[in-house]
Amino acid sequence: MTITEPGPGAAPASSALPAARAIDLVKIYGKDLAIVRALDGIDVEFQRGQFTAVMGPSGSGKSTLMHCMAGLDTPTSGRTFVGDREIGLLDDAGLTEMRRHQVGFVFQSFNLVPTLTAEENITLPADLARVEVDRPWFDYLVEQLGIRDRLSHRPNEMSGGQQQRVACARALIGRPDLIFADEPTGNLDSNSSAEMLAFLRRSVDELGQSIVMVTHDARGAAYADRVVFLADGKVVGELLSPTADSVLERMKQFGS
Amino acid sequence: MWRIVVRGLLAHKLRLALTGLAIVLGVTFISGTLVLTDTLHNTFSTLFGKVYQNVDFQVRAKAAFSNSGNVNAVRNPIPQSLAATVRRVHGVAYADGTVAGFAQFVSPDGKAIVNGGAPTLGVSYDPNRQLSSLNLAQGSAPTTPHEVVMDAGTAQKYHFAVGDHVRVLLYGPPQSFTISGIVKFGTANNLAGATIAAFDLSTAQQLFGEVGRYDAIDILTTPGADKAAVQRAIAAVLPRGDEVVTGQTVANEQTNDINQALSFFSTALLVFAFISLFVGGFTIFNTFSITVGQRTRELALLRIVGASRKQLFRSVLAEAVILGTVASLVGLALGVLAALGLVALLKGFGITLPAGALVFEGRTVIVALVVGVGVTVVSAISPARRAVRIAPVAALADQQSDNQESSRRRIVVGSVVAVLGVLALAVGLSKPAIQLVGLGAVAIFIGIGMLSPIVARPMSSVIGRPMARLFGISGKLGRENSMRSPRRTAQTASALMVGLALVSTIAVFGASLSKSVTASVDDAVSADYIITSSATGGAGTFSSSVAGAASAVPGVTNVSAVYNDEFEFRGVISNVTAISTNQLSRTIILNMASGSGAPALAAGELLIDTNTANSKHLSVGSRVSVKFARTGSSTMRIGGVFQPNQLLGSYVVGDGFFLSHFTNPLPEAVLLRTANTSAATSRAIDHGLDVYPNLKIQTRPAFQKSQQAQVNQLLGLVYALLALAVVIALIGIVNTLMLSVFERTHEIGLLRAVGMQRRQVRAMIRAESVILAVFGAIIGIIVGTGLGTAFSESLKQQGITDIVIPISRLVIFLILAALLGLGAASFPARRAARLDVLTAIATN
Repeated sequence: MTITEPGPGAAPASSALPAARAIDLVKIYGKDLAIVRALDGIDVEFQRGQFTAVMGPSGSGKSTLMHCMAGLDTPTSGRTFVGDREIGLLDDAGLTEMRRHQVGFVFQSFNLVPTLTAEENITLPADLARVEVDRPWFDYLVEQLGIRDRLSHRPNEMSGGQQQRVACARALIGRPDLIFADEPTGNLDSNSSAEMLAFLRRSVDELGQSIVMVTHDARGAAYADRVVFLADGKVVGELLSPTADSVLERMKQFGS
Repeated sequence: MWRIVVRGLLAHKLRLALTGLAIVLGVTFISGTLVLTDTLHNTFSTLFGKVYQNVDFQVRAKAAFSNSGNVNAVRNPIPQSLAATVRRVHGVAYADGTVAGFAQFVSPDGKAIVNGGAPTLGVSYDPNRQLSSLNLAQGSAPTTPHEVVMDAGTAQKYHFAVGDHVRVLLYGPPQSFTISGIVKFGTANNLAGATIAAFDLSTAQQLFGEVGRYDAIDILTTPGADKAAVQRAIAAVLPRGDEVVTGQTVANEQTNDINQALSFFSTALLVFAFISLFVGGFTIFNTFSITVGQRTRELALLRIVGASRKQLFRSVLAEAVILGTVASLVGLALGVLAALGLVALLKGFGITLPAGALVFEGRTVIVALVVGVGVTVVSAISPARRAVRIAPVAALADQQSDNQESSRRRIVVGSVVAVLGVLALAVGLSKPAIQLVGLGAVAIFIGIGMLSPIVARPMSSVIGRPMARLFGISGKLGRENSMRSPRRTAQTASALMVGLALVSTIAVFGASLSKSVTASVDDAVSADYIITSSATGGAGTFSSSVAGAASAVPGVTNVSAVYNDEFEFRGVISNVTAISTNQLSRTIILNMASGSGAPALAAGELLIDTNTANSKHLSVGSRVSVKFARTGSSTMRIGGVFQPNQLLGSYVVGDGFFLSHFTNPLPEAVLLRTANTSAATSRAIDHGLDVYPNLKIQTRPAFQKSQQAQVNQLLGLVYALLALAVVIALIGIVNTLMLSVFERTHEIGLLRAVGMQRRQVRAMIRAESVILAVFGAIIGIIVGTGLGTAFSESLKQQGITDIVIPISRLVIFLILAALLGLGAASFPARRAARLDVLTAIATN
């Protein structure tokens, strides 16, 4: 899997505005005595054209942060932006619009609609938005991800790695400004993980894609340009140009 | 999106089939009814059209009662001399009279011949073959007073041939005739089951008591004559009160008569069809609710990749549209088959229809599709709205939470709907307005359905306790499962609740009716023997000479003939009953509220019952306008007001008065008082009346029993028709259990892995099913008992005097429901037991 040419019309690489940011983000679950402050006043920015990893022990609020920033969950207080759009101001139709055109998602599991083939899953966002699928772009992604011969298969006829690559293609098909990946390698073996991460890396380097990835795997985080560390709902540090060792080193400092 | 819907449906074919079945059955019922009645309608209109196609005009008396329309109009006979007058009109080629009346064949083994409840017709035979509605198939026309022609249907069934002798029951004593010919009615062997005995005109006049009179005169015009001019010319010579109409008009009237009977029949069937669909709607609602719940993650995933709320809503409804359409089309096809089957069944009962294809109107297709798809889509709206409310983040949740959202809102809405339903029912029953009653019942069912989740948990717990005791761990788990999602338990049970509520309503109503009938016979009749017609249901008349013959039997001390016919009471067509005024109390119990009984009757005065007196503000001494077909308008004095009497109806006159106001009336019952009711007396009466095989002679207790039997027969029919609704409810249970098993695959795998046997898995599913069924049955029986009591209460004025709650029968229903629940579980239970442990655990 090498990228031979820049993808036709990749996302714009850089601009002054961050791809997404959060200002004083708070998310509280539960009531009365059983209160959990999942996010406790987070300020964070994710730059365009960058691969950012969000790390932290379980319960640190990393998934919640992602859900709130992607408009999947509503924060208790604080503001979040994707590009220049403030998510809190969007109604359901606005959020739907944003999901169609501005963000893409890859999850740990249950990424695909089980009754649709791989190809149908990839073109699903375009079909839902009722826009033409960009065929050259589709072919390019399929080629790059090596899933050409899987296009007519249903999810249950594919390996986990293959399913995850289909999910990647689906996230990229609409040329979103930003991709949110929530533990995308959590269910994959090490080979598949490495391939997946390498692909994400290349899509940043060669296509200028912006990616935010939640992970708890230091080796995975090493593929990123920058690692943001979370603990107890707060940002507790960050690391630029990480390696697996430096990430592990940092993790130890946070006592996890 | 469309693709996802279709794929989703195809991926769950079994679920599709089970859910669709609920609609298929209802639509089959509807389309079968429509096709059958359309076919019958077409058959009769063609038949009557053919019969009267050569009759240019018919002269007859105008309808005696002003507002009766032309349907079943009562008409007086016309004088025979009118035929000669009509013949003299220029342009009339042929004119001759017809008469019709009661005549019933006796089979070679001495039984009165009747096909089901069809009439036994006696007619005059018109030798003009162009005019006659009867086609001579064999032999010749009757020419002497000793000859009769017989319909081909009767001849075939009882092996009569031309030249045979046959006994015929008539107005007077029975007589024997020689069969001169065998006829068909148009092209059919008989007229929808009615038997036909045709005599030559003057014999018929004599037999039917119409000497010197005709019922009508059939007319042929000379070829080439200006028909309109001829009609005007005939009208000009007719006395006031007579009219001349075209043959086509007569054909249309007769077709309308039949259609009215058919529409009653089809309405009754359609009501049950809609009940089935209503129950089907519950099943569909439930299935969609469960599948939307199970697909939470998938639906949320779609939202994440850009599906709008509207798209999700439409996708669920699209699923319903496809399901409804497919199911309706299948139902439509099955309906046609069902209609074919029913026509064959009718043939089996001796009702032969003229050959003709089934009539399949465009309207049938439209009704089937609109109703089938409509019910499915409406039932899916609420689940679709639930699908829309799913948060996208739900795709990421590991555990699917069965959110019990807005339960307070449901309780409020459910209570409001139920209360409105009760109000509508109450108003509907008191009016009475049957549509409002239906609407009220529907609202009550929906309201109760919405409220029942509140009690689902505690009730499942109680019902399940003996299961846990009986079946150990399996029963315990089954109980836990049924308590796990009270909403699902309640929804699944709702369909059965409706079915059992209706069945229980009928049970309470039927028991009350049955009891009231028993009580009413003893309250109404003091006679020892009651003679009625042996025709189905005892509705029918018999020879007027029976009363005379009975009085000659030794041991018989009093005889009273009971007559019944139509008259106009203050401009409204009503039924009047006539009883013997002589020693009235020996045969009939007439409890007078005011005025006098027998003396008033003897004086030619009218008696009315207390209901009529109250509702019409009449009392003893009031003078009311009445009209009799034969004697015209007059006023009558109300001589007395009596307590309602089951046998008599609202208006009663003396027999002398009646006989002088009606032409050739036939009794519908004869009451006998005897010295004793020993077997010897019974034998003597039977012997004395053995020339009348169309009689049913019963002692009062036997009569009572047969009245009850009739009620029970009717109830049996209603139960049978309601059974379909119960079957649909059971399909709903099967469906829910299948979905639950699918949902708990992992869990069942785990149970198996830790040592649960297949047998125990099956027992667990069965226990859950029985709990569901019993839960639905209990609520249904409670609701149904309430409804049945309300219905019976509202009919107190109409003679339902006792309200009986048949506890033992209701308990039997409960046990049956439990057994049916057990049956419904068998397939899902087997499926659950078959799950492979390893794959079940691996499934996520």
